[in-house]
Amino acid sequence: MITVDNLVYEYDESASDPALDGISLTIDDGEWVIIAGANGSGKTTLVRHFNALLTPDEGDVRIDGTSAVDNPVHARTQVGMVFQSPEDQFVAATVGADVAFGPENLGLSHEEIDRRVETALAAVNLADRTDDRIESLSGGEQSRVAIAGALAMEPAHLVLDEPFTGLDWSARQSVLDHLKTLHEDGTSIILVTHDIRDVFSHAERVIGLDNGTIAIEGNPSAVSNSLERINVRVPETARNE
Amino acid sequence: MLRYTPGQTLAHRLDPRSKLAFQFGFAIAAVTVIRPEWTLLMFGLGVLSLWAAGLSVHVALREYWIVLATLAIVPVIAGITLSFPFFDLDSAIGSAQAISRVVPVLLVSAAFVYSTPVRDTRAAIQQTVPGKVGQLLGVAVSLTVRFIPLVRRDVLQVREAIRARGGDVRSVADRAGRITVLSAARALSRSERLSLALQARCFAWNPTLPRLRLRFADYVVLLCALALTLSPLAIRLLS
Repeated sequence: MITVDNLVYEYDESASDPALDGISLTIDDGEWVIIAGANGSGKTTLVRHFNALLTPDEGDVRIDGTSAVDNPVHARTQVGMVFQSPEDQFVAATVGADVAFGPENLGLSHEEIDRRVETALAAVNLADRTDDRIESLSGGEQSRVAIAGALAMEPAHLVLDEPFTGLDWSARQSVLDHLKTLHEDGTSIILVTHDIRDVFSHAERVIGLDNGTIAIEGNPSAVSNSLERINVRVPETARNE
Repeated sequence: MLRYTPGQTLAHRLDPRSKLAFQFGFAIAAVTVIRPEWTLLMFGLGVLSLWAAGLSVHVALREYWIVLATLAIVPVIAGITLSFPFFDLDSAIGSAQAISRVVPVLLVSAAFVYSTPVRDTRAAIQQTVPGKVGQLLGVAVSLTVRFIPLVRRDVLQVREAIRARGGDVRSVADRAGRITVLSAARALSRSERLSLALQARCFAWNPTLPRLRLRFADYVVLLCALALTLSPLAIRLLS
């Protein structure tokens, strides 16, 4: 479970408003949550606290009861992070080497690393691409490698920051299908986006951010009409309901 | 750009430690022995290394064209004198001979880069150089190898963006200035994102390194490395 309590964060002390201003929320194990909002609303800043990439100015972020600040390694193994641009996440040249990077850092045995790499790549249908150079893959395949890199840490929660940016329809569907499978297997999915049309029907809860605060929260059908108020695109079908 | 390419060649199957040792011995042998026939032999060995890695001489030379072009200028500069006849042919030939001994080393290093994954190189360095120095060296090599192609791509993108908007008509100094400033800004931004990615994936100075195992072929290569390292001494004693 991810628990955020009165989180305040500002990038620049001279800025008039903090990037996050008193956010409190809980994300249960196995839940599918969309964190929506316009550009600059604080979505990415919020989820980077889950992975201990940012340290709160005020408040607390706990992963399964353990403070993310006090134990960042625990936070990073429990919360897998897939960045907006997969290219930013890759730290090795080939698919297998990149997916193995996280488990190697945990000091696991070779057998365990091999098992995790195989399982993670199988989960995204890239088991036969271990030795391929990442740059030779398509955009959709690169997104799946990025997801596999996060999955290899065997996290309980998977955070994806705008995972569909730059992907065509079939690549989006492919990534989405794999996310559905992961969710069915018990991984909680936290999806950051400003366009929820692709994922609207899969989410159990939508958290809408506006100027660093939670403006909207509830199940997708209940909040669909309010989301456009904070510049989030919703599907036509949802709007008509 | 020259980079690791997966394959099943002899060089790909070798342990990175034996390949590093071979490079070390080869560099000593190629640079310290000053004999034309020896340099020719080193060229032959360099070409053999490329063949073992499945990399053509043409491709290797093309990848190093900037280095080779720079090296080619050196003898010309070495031959220039301030008094009549303003060019000393002997100095130029001497310099050209010295430079010719560097080229085979480049060929062997090309075979190494082409056939060795970065993390294997890191593992080989960390296992060969003990302690914090080895860790630092291993991480530095792996990050540099990862970072340089990305920075190079950024520079190309900046150049294309300038061209796409008719920037070709501007002066070389203007274009060079823009490319330098924008590329530096992108490199800084990229290094920040890379640092974030490393943190997110629990970067460790001493991770589980890939398995390395010396096989029969590696022992043969290690023997060659030892022979090459000792060859300058042997040649001096025999002559």
